[in-house]
Amino acid sequence: AVKMSAPTMEERKACWGARDEFWRCLDRHGDDGSKCEKLRLAFESRCPQQWVKHFDKRRDFLKYKKKLETEGYHPPEAAGKS
Amino acid sequence: LLDHTGRRRRMADFHGQWVLLYFGFTRCPDICPEELEKLCGAVGRLERDPALPPVQPLFVTLDPRRDDAAAMARYIRDFHPRLLGLTGSPEEVEAAAHAYRVYSHAGPPDEAGDYVVDHSIAIYLLGPDGLLLDYYGRSKTEEQIVQSVRQHMQTYKPLPD
Repeated sequence: AVKMSAPTMEERKACWGARDEFWRCLDRHGDDGSKCEKLRLAFESRCPQQWVKHFDKRRDFLKYKKKLETEGYHPPEAAGKS
Repeated sequence: LLDHTGRRRRMADFHGQWVLLYFGFTRCPDICPEELEKLCGAVGRLERDPALPPVQPLFVTLDPRRDDAAAMARYIRDFHPRLLGLTGSPEEVEAAAHAYRVYSHAGPPDEAGDYVVDHSIAIYLLGPDGLLLDYYGRSKTEEQIVQSVRQHMQTYKPLPD
């Protein structure tokens, strides 16, 4: 197995900072990723690929959670309704 | 298990001490650093009370293939001077995780060979008898952990001989 050093505390904080900047941009532009490409690239360059994936999923989850809290739960329509 | 200096340790070594224990891995994106900050922050706050015995912070890896003693030594430096990192063979780590009912599962590796380890999240409080007295999930704050540990210390009764 390839030994890869874990990011240091500084590297972690730099990654989280880049992520937060990117997310703030998305918040400002209603999640329009095309308006935040530079920050997206900075985020991807500062964080391991696995962490980018993890944070992308985290953002989706946080948005979904917010939706549930504000709009309530609406079960998806069943494919074949009787 | 092996500590981060390469020394063999057994849970029995910690009998007589209060322990706060966390299972995670060093390539963890955010949860492990946050939980360890919380755990070590609680240890630091409790330390400042001279009436209380010190609490031993322990961090056990769920990723022994990558987290050898050297990796653990590098990682724990950022948290607390007395934080002990523990690793071992996959079998040893699995036995330790099993003993505390910790769920863990390594995800698929990407092209770089990197992967994350999905795992249950809890900080365990062990008393001087080595018994599990309490556990704290993500939603517990540092303050809540400090108060809980303090309470356990006050009401603790050693097992009869």
